[in-house]
Amino acid sequence: MKVWGKMTAPVLSLKGVNKRFGGVVAADDVDLDLPPGMITTLVGPNGAGKTTLFNLITGNLRPDSGAITLRGESLLGTDPRKSALRGIARSFQDLRLFEQMTVFENVLAVMERSALPWQPGGRAAARARRDKADAVLAQVGLTGWRNARAIDLGYAEQKFLSLARILVTDASLWLLDEPASGLDPASYDRFVTLVRGRLSEGVTICLIEHNLDIVQGISDRIAFLDQGAVLAAGEPRAILNDPKLAAIYFGERR
Amino acid sequence: MQGYILNLLILVSISGILAASLNFIIGYAGIYSMAHAAFFGVAAYAGALIALHLSPSLLVAIPVAMALCAALSLVISLPSLRVRGEYFVVASLGLQMIAFTVFSEWKDVTGGIGGLTGVPIATLFGFQLRTLESMFAVSLSCLALTAFVIYALVHTSFGRSLKAIRDNEVAAASFGKNPIVIKTIAVAISTAFCGVAGVLYAFHISFVNPESFTVDQSVFIMSMIIIGGTGTVLGPILGALIIHLLPAGLTYLTFLPARDLASLQQIIYGAAMVLLMIYRPSGLIGRANVKDTWSR
Repeated sequence: MKVWGKMTAPVLSLKGVNKRFGGVVAADDVDLDLPPGMITTLVGPNGAGKTTLFNLITGNLRPDSGAITLRGESLLGTDPRKSALRGIARSFQDLRLFEQMTVFENVLAVMERSALPWQPGGRAAARARRDKADAVLAQVGLTGWRNARAIDLGYAEQKFLSLARILVTDASLWLLDEPASGLDPASYDRFVTLVRGRLSEGVTICLIEHNLDIVQGISDRIAFLDQGAVLAAGEPRAILNDPKLAAIYFGERR
Repeated sequence: MQGYILNLLILVSISGILAASLNFIIGYAGIYSMAHAAFFGVAAYAGALIALHLSPSLLVAIPVAMALCAALSLVISLPSLRVRGEYFVVASLGLQMIAFTVFSEWKDVTGGIGGLTGVPIATLFGFQLRTLESMFAVSLSCLALTAFVIYALVHTSFGRSLKAIRDNEVAAASFGKNPIVIKTIAVAISTAFCGVAGVLYAFHISFVNPESFTVDQSVFIMSMIIIGGTGTVLGPILGALIIHLLPAGLTYLTFLPARDLASLQQIIYGAAMVLLMIYRPSGLIGRANVKDTWSR
């Protein structure tokens, strides 16, 4: 596990980010840095505003105030498509697979970004995309399901398909919303190996997770959220052993 | 007798083009348009006017009608595809209503309720399509070409983008796709093929009037797709065949009282639709069987 402290400039940085929905504070003056090459996990009770932060970063939501920067450049005014083009890939808690398409098409389609009836690069590029899709399906163990519709997969396979769609992009920042929940131990190990393997290739990851064993096992850093605010951020052990945070997480209100 | 069948087959071909082109956006993009008959009408009037005043050549009328329909489609696509799918349904219904009003009221150009008559015989490469056989050959070729282009398109990256947007627009956008542009292009392609059907229709019937381009016609085209199978290439064509042959077939059942044939036809249509939706919810050629569709 990497040492928190001697860090270079953060890949993503949120400064004083606020978002309200009517009377509900979804993001309360959030400051958060994602250091490069690390897994930062967002922890907190339901409704703490974890997914909202993802939505604010990718432009699904606009912050009321504050600054969000990707490698020093502002992400304000972005939309999901533009943030994808800038190298942010995201998975969803409810997966949002292309359900009627095949497993292979799900992975292939995320590489085809041109809106025109053809993609740049011609046949060679098309072949390269297909090969890459098959390679990623082999990595996540879905080769046998290649031509099945996404909707016909079991839960764990769907989770790995969701991960495959991220793996196949060249994104450098991954936002994963509960990617490991519901996986059995063997699948979970496979998931961790796949994800960790990409960190050394320059990928930075922020993920949301509820299972504290998983959180402890996978995180380089933890940010603890409650009611839209980041209450603490730092090394996993320090956060997880904080009795005040534990009390909030397990139901005692602050 | 042979004329009757050829006439029917030409109409099936034209309807097949309409159904296949509408299916391109309904089945593959999840865009429900109620304005297909309006575009059909625009193309038919354009074709008739070009034939009456400019040239009876299909090679003039068809490209112009295709371009006109594609351009007109932007009028509903641009404002409504930015927002949720329901808005497109409403916007297209609005366009359908406006189009019908224009067809029947813009008397100087459309001839009003009476329509435009005396559309000359179509020509192709200088040959006059005088016989029903030649008209059928051209219509069938156009249908084959339409089906082929749509088949090819849905198997390219563009088709995958459409299906991805249909299945989950939020996910498609967050992987870098531009749903608005992709859907706008899809609607333009669909309506352009609708334009082919309109021109063929104008020449075949040799007159156009507003009655052929009502919202009922839009629903009629949609039912062909649903019966045949949305999201399949052959389904809509099969649907067009069935919808046209069913009433024709009924007239052969001599034991049915001729007086009640029309209402009987409606009942059979209705019953067939209900049975189909129970036993083949994705149409006759639809991919999923009942169990797959209902288990989720």
